[in-house]
Amino acid sequence: MKILTRTAVIATGIVALAASAPALAVDCPVKLGGIAPLSAPGAVTGGEAQRMGMQIAVEAINAGGGVLGCEVELVMGDTEGLPEKGTALFEKLISQDNVAGIAGGYHSSVGIAGKEVAHDKGVPVIFASTWNDQITATKLPEVFRVAPLSSEASALYWKFAASIPGTEKVVIVTENTDYGIPAAEETEKGLESVGLASTTFAVDIGTQDFSGIVQRVNAEGPDAIIVLLTGEASFNFQQQAAENGIGPGDLPFVCDILAAESASFWENVPDGNYCFVGQFGLPEALYNDAAKAFAATYKERTGKEAVESYAIEAYDAIGLLAAAIQQAGSTDGAAIIAALEAIEYDGALGTVSFPYGQGNDTAAAGVEDKFWHQFLDPALMIFQYQEEGQKAGDAPIVFPDTYKTGDAVFVNQ
Amino acid sequence: MRRHIPATACGIGLVFLAAFPLVYGASDYDYIMHLWITAFFYAILASSWSLLAGYAGQFSFGHMAFMALGAYTTGLFNNYFYLTSAATGTCFEIPLGSWYFVVLDPIGVSASPYSCLDAARDAWTVDVTITKPSLWFGILFGILVGGLFGWLIGRLVLRLRAAYLALFTLGFSEILRAILSAEIGVTRGQAGLELDPLFPDGVSILGASFDATDKLPTYYVMFALLLACIALMMRLERSRFGLFVRSLREDEDAAAALGVHTVRYKLYTFVVTSMIAAAAGAVQAHYIGIITPNILIILQMALVVAMAVVGGLESIVAAAVGGVVVYFLLEFLRNDFTIGAVSIDMTIWRLVFFGAIVMLTLRFQRNGLLYAFIMWCTRAGVAQETVAKRAAAQQPPGKE
Amino acid sequence: MEHSIIFWPVVLWMIAWGVVGSVVTPRVFLRRDMDISNASLAGAFVGAASGPFGLAPLWYLAPKSTRGWVLLSAAGALAILIAAFALADPDNVCVTNGSLVASQVANGLVMGTIYALMAMGLTLIFSILRVVNFAHGEFYMVGGMSVYYVSAVWLPEMPPAAAVLVACGITFVIGGAFERLFLTPMYDGRVERPIEYAVLVTFGLVFFLQYFVQALAGASPVKAQRFFDFPIIRLPSAEDPWLIKTSKANLQLFDTVSVSNPRFTAAVISVLVLLGLLFFLYRTWWGKALRAVSQDRQAAAVAGIDPNKMNMLAFALGGMLAGLSGAVLVQAFSWVPQVGMLPALRSFVIVVLGGLGSLPGAFIGGIIVGMVEAAGTGCIPDPQRAASYIPAYGMLILTLTLLLKPTGLFGRRE
Repeated sequence: MKILTRTAVIATGIVALAASAPALAVDCPVKLGGIAPLSAPGAVTGGEAQRMGMQIAVEAINAGGGVLGCEVELVMGDTEGLPEKGTALFEKLISQDNVAGIAGGYHSSVGIAGKEVAHDKGVPVIFASTWNDQITATKLPEVFRVAPLSSEASALYWKFAASIPGTEKVVIVTENTDYGIPAAEETEKGLESVGLASTTFAVDIGTQDFSGIVQRVNAEGPDAIIVLLTGEASFNFQQQAAENGIGPGDLPFVCDILAAESASFWENVPDGNYCFVGQFGLPEALYNDAAKAFAATYKERTGKEAVESYAIEAYDAIGLLAAAIQQAGSTDGAAIIAALEAIEYDGALGTVSFPYGQGNDTAAAGVEDKFWHQFLDPALMIFQYQEEGQKAGDAPIVFPDTYKTGDAVFVNQ
Repeated sequence: MRRHIPATACGIGLVFLAAFPLVYGASDYDYIMHLWITAFFYAILASSWSLLAGYAGQFSFGHMAFMALGAYTTGLFNNYFYLTSAATGTCFEIPLGSWYFVVLDPIGVSASPYSCLDAARDAWTVDVTITKPSLWFGILFGILVGGLFGWLIGRLVLRLRAAYLALFTLGFSEILRAILSAEIGVTRGQAGLELDPLFPDGVSILGASFDATDKLPTYYVMFALLLACIALMMRLERSRFGLFVRSLREDEDAAAALGVHTVRYKLYTFVVTSMIAAAAGAVQAHYIGIITPNILIILQMALVVAMAVVGGLESIVAAAVGGVVVYFLLEFLRNDFTIGAVSIDMTIWRLVFFGAIVMLTLRFQRNGLLYAFIMWCTRAGVAQETVAKRAAAQQPPGKE
Repeated sequence: MEHSIIFWPVVLWMIAWGVVGSVVTPRVFLRRDMDISNASLAGAFVGAASGPFGLAPLWYLAPKSTRGWVLLSAAGALAILIAAFALADPDNVCVTNGSLVASQVANGLVMGTIYALMAMGLTLIFSILRVVNFAHGEFYMVGGMSVYYVSAVWLPEMPPAAAVLVACGITFVIGGAFERLFLTPMYDGRVERPIEYAVLVTFGLVFFLQYFVQALAGASPVKAQRFFDFPIIRLPSAEDPWLIKTSKANLQLFDTVSVSNPRFTAAVISVLVLLGLLFFLYRTWWGKALRAVSQDRQAAAVAGIDPNKMNMLAFALGGMLAGLSGAVLVQAFSWVPQVGMLPALRSFVIVVLGGLGSLPGAFIGGIIVGMVEAAGTGCIPDPQRAASYIPAYGMLILTLTLLLKPTGLFGRRE
């Protein structure tokens, strides 16, 4: 088999040479692996959005002539949100489908487990929505990330909470996962550093009936609430809190990022007006041309009102891989990694680059290890819904001042 | 001739599986090996469940809970127990001769874990050797814990009849899942507990050396475990024990009246199958390298049940083969396909088909697809024989 | 738990005497030729509540000891537990915050009623077919999804009550069709072990329905609009509304009990349906026929009731009850195809607790589980554990009950 393939490759090469096309020993099509949670217990909503983002990216690349003269093929895989399924999937994509690189990823636990397989096989992977600091902090040469760091996202939350006038006590409601627990810890630490008291309630992700928790949160007498739940649990908590008089309409209330999907948010949390929502990635008003083109296709395909950050990240992750392969001139792992470290890619997220890596070690540069192969400039901001049924794109950005487009309404003032 | 088909097939299958890792050489070697190892894991679970459910008639939905107990016991053992050559002074420790047996404090999922051993490491000024006890002790420990809980739960459910038993064991499994995901400080909950590979320093077999990540050694370990479990269960099945257990299933009261100690045998079956499940879980956990509470969600249990059903509840071997077949079927169903103008996205429809297959198998081939085939083979000639015997018996005696 | 020095000894004392009561009482009763099916339970309650001081007279006066006495002991044991808890942890929100307790009790009752409705469907199926419907949670899910699709997507003009009726219809038809297609082989002896066959085939249905709905509807959480908004009421006066105060989404009674609108609506509908169900079972021919079949199949057949028809009716009706509880809760919770898992498990706990096949058992079991969950989430000191162990609370009660009475509270020996 092997010999046959090699002969075939050589034959193709000769033909290509004869045709004086770029002489590259690449098997067509170039395969890229896409990973996302597409069935329970994974966060299927996020996974579907990522899949759509990646599909659009591949179509755009192929419309532009592919890479190295080849079509790009996306091989999607379902992580089911489980680390053990994730490792198996990495295994399959790399050794059965022979992908040149892997993009995507939603659950941090899957990323943490899967990165080891990628490292073992020397195949580059660009994580799109796995926030856990550990993923890049282990400094594996194959691992890149375009999503924000969990600690940076937490910093956005506690700095915002500190900026709310008259706040003394904050309640954090989080999920007992590897995303929720560290995020809550970092937020608590930050709040403490500015002299704010906080209490954390960690719940199981499957929780549906929050009435007991809502009552207990109420009994704490908070001045502000930060929700770090994901999936439908966040919708359930936010709505049930609103129904019991401690919702976004009653006190400053930071909703989970899923709230950025406005149509779904208003359907599930009809009483969620005045919610503050974290946005990761530029707001629609500041989109560059790449992002605008992507957003138009994405909205048309999905019928959604806005583009979620994880869809954009997944879109750019595929674009980055393709660009790196083009620059490297081969699908060899080490060559792609070298290309990625040097890349200046103009994507929907802005100009993406990875300044710290093998050429410029984090230790030598004097920065924390978590910035290894990390996209340093994911725009982080908070917007606020100020009208019922408002689209995420129309809602004013209220924090930080650099991006500010409107004033925050603090309902308890 | 038909009679010999199952035995011959088994023989060929065994030789094929034993030789497979050595012969197969395509580029997707690692992936195919991964599929086989996982298929063996499910085969062990499906066959032991078929002994419990099909043979002893105890429809326990807690089988995956015992698997998880085995996995988590060895996982915790692997993460929390160390041997050091000097006292840490910071951890809980027991002196063992010149060594200290050290138990770590809970790891948790915080961003920067700092255990009592790390603290001791920073404080030590001399060179201290830190090792882990062999993970095989952990696996053994896992099997024992599985057996212990099998005994406890077995005792609890002894007096329950079919439906109550199914519901109660399901609940047990759900409680265990809640504990594993809530006690996040110890088990790391949804973040997953990481384990060393089965052979952390690699292994050399017959001169060839293998890395920790090579699949071949694990393949043979899991394969051997499967064969050992099947051999053990078949021995049980063919002994007096098997007879008693079957009598329990057919008519418990009659068996009791005939002097079969129903309670003891039911309990015994429960403990044995729990230990087998725990063993499979412990080995698989080391192979995968990470475990989460989701290994015992109801869906996983349903998968094992479906495997046993498709294979055939009445036979341990058939159930094991069912495990392998269904697992490969599920993997195969991941590939999208197109019928005419309709293209079917299998990431979406996979489990719909799966549910339909389970229901239809039960409806039209209640004893499972494989078992039906085995019966077709072994019954070959039985009819003619019976006819011949009857004919012989009906011959008028006077003729001779 | 700073004063755990009070709490744990009390609990240990109660457990010790409970065990003594549960072990010795059946023997005492047996010696006096009494029915021992309730002896362990009774002994455990009396022992836990009053230790040797209650057990001695119980054993001495054996034939005369009454059910009332046992119930009183059960209440007593509960009261002692609560008192010990309050003394041990005086700063707990459950002890200091009366409004929280009142709201939690109200919520426990409200949710308990809805749980009971769903569990009654399960137990109804069991009482006629001797089958546990493992796909009960999927009927719940389909019920909710139908309401969402009817009221929000297909026919936005439709009043919610009509959408609930459509959901009932859909789940009724699915139940009936499934019974005809897959359960009929059980009745004529073609299946060797019918109970196990049914368990497995309904397990297959779980997969099928759950993923079928996911394939059609996607996995995004959806939710139906509130069926109606509360009118704004301020009683007795607008300035000091201590009696009743409502907002669109919330109802507050006596300044303490707070019930949210969707749950209130759901509970009201559930109570109406329960009454309707009772009327159906006790006042109509079909209902009476169902009960007759559940009591004695052969006798019912002799009396001219076709047990085959009753099987189908029971399964369809049971599925419909689950669908109905989903239909009323889809306005309270966000709905995904996996939403049925936890409620199904809870129903299993409830019916086993109350005794499989017993309708009053399912109702009382539902209320017990609702209250226990409310107490657990409200009072356990560590908030993380309180919320994570929700599925375990009911199981704990169930385990205790099964230890003491293997047939559940109201179950019959078969």
